[in-house]
Amino acid sequence: MTDRDVEYRDTRRPVTVVTGFLGSGKTTLLARVLSEPSMANTAVLVNEFGEVGLDHHLLRRVDERTVLLGSGCVCCTTREDLVGALKELLDMDQKGEIPRLDRVVIETTGLADPAPILHTIYTDPVLQHHFSVDLVLTTVDAVNGALHLDRNAESVKQVAAADKVVVTKTDIAEPGVARGLLSRLGTINPSARIFEAAFGEVDVAELFRADGAGSHTPTLPAEAGDPHDVGDTYSVSVTFDGAIDWTAFGIWFSMLLNARGEDVLRVKGLLDVGEAGPVVLNGVQHIIHPPEHLGEWPDEDRRSRIIFITKRIHPEELLDSLEAFGELLGARPVPLGTDHSVSLP
Amino acid sequence: MCVLCGQDFVAQAHWTDRHVEDRARASGPGSDPVEYQRDRRRDRAHRAVLTNEVLRHYGLRVEDWSGSKYVLRDRKGRSELIQDLGSLWPAAAKLAGRTPDPLDPTLCEALAAAHDG
Repeated sequence: MTDRDVEYRDTRRPVTVVTGFLGSGKTTLLARVLSEPSMANTAVLVNEFGEVGLDHHLLRRVDERTVLLGSGCVCCTTREDLVGALKELLDMDQKGEIPRLDRVVIETTGLADPAPILHTIYTDPVLQHHFSVDLVLTTVDAVNGALHLDRNAESVKQVAAADKVVVTKTDIAEPGVARGLLSRLGTINPSARIFEAAFGEVDVAELFRADGAGSHTPTLPAEAGDPHDVGDTYSVSVTFDGAIDWTAFGIWFSMLLNARGEDVLRVKGLLDVGEAGPVVLNGVQHIIHPPEHLGEWPDEDRRSRIIFITKRIHPEELLDSLEAFGELLGARPVPLGTDHSVSLP
Repeated sequence: MCVLCGQDFVAQAHWTDRHVEDRARASGPGSDPVEYQRDRRRDRAHRAVLTNEVLRHYGLRVEDWSGSKYVLRDRKGRSELIQDLGSLWPAAAKLAGRTPDPLDPTLCEALAAAHDG
């Protein structure tokens, strides 16, 4: 074996963020998930011990302590409590005091915005080398979900930030209500996979399968294309008519995040940058997961495909801007859906 | 590093800077450090050229500063030292007196006209 064959292996421990509105079934879902033998070496960080008791040997309670940086925005805050708790787990793991840590699950409070958790893990000088957020799970209650989405901007943000959405309590919701909610969730975040969990029952292996945040194959909408809008939340999928210049895309996107970051709820996609494989882009508001440059494409379709979920930014504005930057990017944007030949995974 | 406030807490690569490092890592421990430096410099020069295409519309210009930072200047001779694209935009907003916004129709028209003409 030559030196060149030595592969860089990601040894960071996966972190799953479980978010969802108050009473949406986060803890019930967690209790179900933790009962699986395969999840035995999972540590759990919770903000509060709720009515549903969690019985797990690696359960820790953290008090949400947020450090708001001077002139900072809400999503770029550091959760000091998480820094402390995660470092403590890391210490215990490295000293051999606990069995090898396979995964950490962080349960947020109902009103929490998941972005600061991602910010904390990706910017802490120690944590960024030992942990990586692989999945954001959002629970939505089939009975009250629609009401929460109507009344609370946080609820929409949680759905937009999700890689997977679990609709709970479908057993007690009217079938029509549940169907309406499912279609609405798909409209807010077409890139998220939606699971239904009646009585907290869900396929754990499928739910935790690593096709989340660090995913190589972002799921894109089955009927991609037409810009969707839900109130002032929009989503649009875009491809390009050729390979794009990654540096130019970085300029455009960092400029957009600086000017309108709080309105960019989510971005997810694969970008053809003219190399052997695509770049995986995944961001929640100002927080961009470290982009990964893949060695090869995950499937036959070698076109860029990127989905934007925005608030107050109309898809036309994004497309016009990408068009104007087309010369720098080296390719023109094409909204997905106007070209039906694009196959989606 | 927060792209909004541009604070530099520790030496940390901005997401737009990671690919050069990733390429070096992917090529393995036996890779040539000189090649890595060359790749990095080429990348920085390319970034400065492209960024200036946009900054021109705000009366600003950016230059590589000894391969470690960038200097952002306006036409009055004021300057700001910046680390990466994350800190560039807040600094540009300070010098230009307005936040550069890629969705701004005036900027989009100017960019399109620059290339058509």
